[in-house]
Amino acid sequence: MTAVLYRSGVVGATLAVVLVVGMPSASADDLADMLDRSHGSTYSATRLTVSVWGDQTKVTKERVEHVDGAEMIRVDETWSMIGNGRSVRMGEAPEGIAFMAESEPIATDRYVLGDATACSHMRRPCTLFPIVEGDLTRAHVIVDDRTGAPLITYIYDDAGRTFRTISLSDFSPHRTYEWSSDPSVVPYEVVMQADPDVVPSAIAEYALVDVFPGPSDRSEQGFYSDGLFTFSLFALPSGTVVGGFEDQQSLVTPSGVYDATLTAANVRVRWISGGTAYVLVGDLPPDHLEAVLAELPPPTKDGMLARLWRALFG
Amino acid sequence: MAGLTGSADRRSMLLSCFLDGELTPDELEEVVALLETDLDAIAEFRSLQAVRRSIRTLPTLAVPPSLVPGGHLGEELSAYLDGELSTQEMPAVVTHLETCTDCRAELADLDRSRTAVRALPGLETPTFLAVERDLRDSKRRRIMWPAAAAAGGVAAAALAFTVGFGGGSEPTSIDVADLQTRHAAVASVPAGTTSGFEVSNR
Repeated sequence: MTAVLYRSGVVGATLAVVLVVGMPSASADDLADMLDRSHGSTYSATRLTVSVWGDQTKVTKERVEHVDGAEMIRVDETWSMIGNGRSVRMGEAPEGIAFMAESEPIATDRYVLGDATACSHMRRPCTLFPIVEGDLTRAHVIVDDRTGAPLITYIYDDAGRTFRTISLSDFSPHRTYEWSSDPSVVPYEVVMQADPDVVPSAIAEYALVDVFPGPSDRSEQGFYSDGLFTFSLFALPSGTVVGGFEDQQSLVTPSGVYDATLTAANVRVRWISGGTAYVLVGDLPPDHLEAVLAELPPPTKDGMLARLWRALFG
Repeated sequence: MAGLTGSADRRSMLLSCFLDGELTPDELEEVVALLETDLDAIAEFRSLQAVRRSIRTLPTLAVPPSLVPGGHLGEELSAYLDGELSTQEMPAVVTHLETCTDCRAELADLDRSRTAVRALPGLETPTFLAVERDLRDSKRRRIMWPAAAAAGGVAAAALAFTVGFGGGSEPTSIDVADLQTRHAAVASVPAGTTSGFEVSNR
């Protein structure tokens, strides 16, 4: 059974609900309609994301305005917009980046939809959808019947424990915030698609969906999805200094020790292998992350010159 | 099971003992008969099963490392970084690192310290960073340090050449938050569509 999915998952700061098709309880057309409604739905809410990484809990709270397939997100007093391949950070000097993507639907049979159940949440009629991966229930999503918004998403690890919970509160089925400036006039960096050079075509049941030039010369971004979760693998020249890992931790897996920053909505991992510096960012659950890292080039020790360079220049 | 006179109490105890595998053959036959004929017994049995399954699936609580005598990794961390653990030692060390925050932090500190110190040519490892090793490691160190010192000299020469004569183009610096933004933007494209950017907006 092959299911057609949206490319971004139910998770984190990306968009909407990602569900699959094909169970007797719901027809493909019904679900496709629901997905369309979810993607194009309008609502505003406070989104709380809680992830449990081993013995640590990470929490993010943000205000979201979901309009016409895009999300405007406020963290503290800073607004940003993500949607349809664009990301814009608002402020005194707003700037954005736009990816020119033209992709095929993602075909996967990794997930199937379990029996839908009618339920109620926040006094709103909803539907509970289980998302099943093999023998494992990978997620439960409670979808608002009226707007299609994913009111609560539970994601489980391979042991069946809740790994991430994404819940909407202060929910309004309409827009509550007006932009202070027009995002359509923001200057954009436009990124065109490219042919893959370094990034592999598939990793641990994740398909390579798109490839773009990276943020520096001789760098590359591979975007992967399994239909529910997504990650990008950046391959950079080994001399590249990747900042933002000040609160890094050592991620220890059978394939090696990695620098990692774990947040409520995503994971960021960096390592060097051979002459390439790799950075992985995405919303993978821990067992998927370990499987993905196991299929990528493992960390290797820096050479003496590289360590010397890093010690001197950061 | 003496003293249980009420039929409901006796039924509950029989079912509980059945799940624990503690019934005598006669009691087992009694339970089988109950489960074949008594709807209340069947309902109670299912309830008991559900409760026990819930208990079994509760997350296990790891014993805090501080409560385990000698539970922390010591020189194994150093050996781990050096790739010197045996195949027998490796699984235990990896398993411990997965659950012990203290040892992970120590491993990260040790790795950073070593990288920084070793990158400085001509410097001995400070004594406070030295790790006590056994005789086998001492032999290895006697072999390896002269090689490291020689490599350090080469590195110093290379550095002098690079800084003094090469002009030194600075390495590219990228913030992971920028990479996160790029990922989020790409992820926001609905599959099977074209991203809705209009070039005239530039």
